[in-house]
Amino acid sequence: MAAKASAVERQSGRIKDSNQKRILDEASRNRRARKALEALEQDNFHDDPHADLVMSKKIPKFQETIESRGSRKKKPKSAEYYKQRFRKSLAQMVEEDKNYMTGGTSYITAAVEASRYPDRHFCAVCGFPSNYTCVPCGARYCSVRCLGTHQDTRCLKWTA
Amino acid sequence: MIDNAYILDNGAYSAKVGLSCHEEPKIIPNCIMKAKSERQRPFIGNQIEDCRDASGLFYILPFTKGYLVNWDVQKTVWDYILSNDCCPSNFSESPVIITEPYFNFNPIKEAMSEIFFEEYECQSFLRVNAGDLSVYHYNHDNPGTLCVLLVETGYSFTHIVPYIQGKKIRNKIRRIDVGGKILTNHIKEIISYRQLHVMDETYVMNQVKEDCCFVSEDFSRDVEIARKKYPENTIVRDYALPDYTTIRRGYIRPLDSKEECNQQTIRLNIERFSVPEVLFHPSDLGINQMGIPEAIVRVIKSCPEETQPHLFNNILITGGCAAFPGFKTRVYNDVRSMAPYNCKVRVTVPDNPVTYAWHGGVLFSKDPKFYNYAVTKEEYEKEGHAVIFERFDEANLNFA
Ligand SMILES: [Zn+2]
Ligand SMILES: [Zn+2]
Repeated sequence: MAAKASAVERQSGRIKDSNQKRILDEASRNRRARKALEALEQDNFHDDPHADLVMSKKIPKFQETIESRGSRKKKPKSAEYYKQRFRKSLAQMVEEDKNYMTGGTSYITAAVEASRYPDRHFCAVCGFPSNYTCVPCGARYCSVRCLGTHQDTRCLKWTA
Repeated sequence: MIDNAYILDNGAYSAKVGLSCHEEPKIIPNCIMKAKSERQRPFIGNQIEDCRDASGLFYILPFTKGYLVNWDVQKTVWDYILSNDCCPSNFSESPVIITEPYFNFNPIKEAMSEIFFEEYECQSFLRVNAGDLSVYHYNHDNPGTLCVLLVETGYSFTHIVPYIQGKKIRNKIRRIDVGGKILTNHIKEIISYRQLHVMDETYVMNQVKEDCCFVSEDFSRDVEIARKKYPENTIVRDYALPDYTTIRRGYIRPLDSKEECNQQTIRLNIERFSVPEVLFHPSDLGINQMGIPEAIVRVIKSCPEETQPHLFNNILITGGCAAFPGFKTRVYNDVRSMAPYNCKVRVTVPDNPVTYAWHGGVLFSKDPKFYNYAVTKEEYEKEGHAVIFERFDEANLNFA
């Protein structure tokens, strides 16, 4: 009995130890936060179900409208042509804009500042206001129950 | 006076399009969608209405973070919009008004001009911010208005824009990086974690957001109500999801409904208002920016002192997110609490905050000023992009 108890003790001591070792550092926490924000910008979370579908086939063409009136002289350019013609990414344009917009507000500087008011905290599990912070990962929780769910589902199990 | 101007309010989520003689614009999803169930074809714009099963739709969007970058997608959607299947027009007769976001980038502006003049061969063309048309609409409805503080809260972001005597003060514009897209992705995320995997159901969850969410007029009070059990909890709702065999669109179902329900349901409680709350506290999601009311006050206080009472008195909110119930009251309450006590605060949310700019375009196309502002094909052919930049970007047009 006594031996068992001490084994449990030792074991829980080990768990404690390993938990203490496994505390996410600042960099991983920031990386997680950034990933979460990036996910909020995503258009899709699954793959294109018909990636092989040739899209141009059944698409009505502007030319049909014009031709039906019989006034069109020149051949319309394809969507693919414009993809090749205008291929600057947003990041590229933002970078060029920085050089072009000397003085005055630009896309970058128009972003509004941080709030003067303190952040509010909500439980990562149930969404209600929370008072506690998970030590290993920094997530917020509101109750022992939500902490349990958090540890079982996310916390250190997330590979971000 | 012309009554056949072609007005295209080209939003990142939906294009609002029609001739100025039309009563209402058509609202066309500005994207291409692919359905799991139909291998035959992609769905362009409102063709999605023909899709039998809208579960697991895959989206292809022309816009990234609010700016037009995928030109093959946009060209495909525009070709469809301009075709006989949607909203055709004869551009040799109809002048075109097209909208762009604030701080649009020069390569995008040039591409728009090139496509409309060279590809679609339009005869005259005006590119404006959708907000310019909203402010014109507001000034038209409220003659004598000196200043307008516009809040445009759309799919990609929210802009706070002061207009003084019809002209926007570019240097004072501020952007909050929260819009409808983030809210939909957020509700998908929390429902998927708490209840049912819906990460692939953007289309359906966007409808859930539209059908169920509201802006809380008193956040801590509503949190306390949401903690209670039904029926003391007057916020909690069940939502029956569409199965695309018996029902095509989900609906709210009372918790004590005796009616049999074979649909899968999800329960919405605090989510109903914590999701739109992100517009008021972006930091709830870890976005390090102030929310709408604080930004309104900040922007107004950065403007010349004599304009401030006028700006507080003419706060106009447009865009899809403005359609959440409770939006107007919440903005009023929060701004009121932060504004100087002797300043009158007035907030307007139009009956239809989505089409308000388009209707402004209709009104503006009938203003003689419109002729001076639009660039003709001849001018473009003679002077190229320079004349367009001069007219649309450097002149700071007046929308009083
Ligand atoms: Zn909790
Ligand atoms: Zn944790």
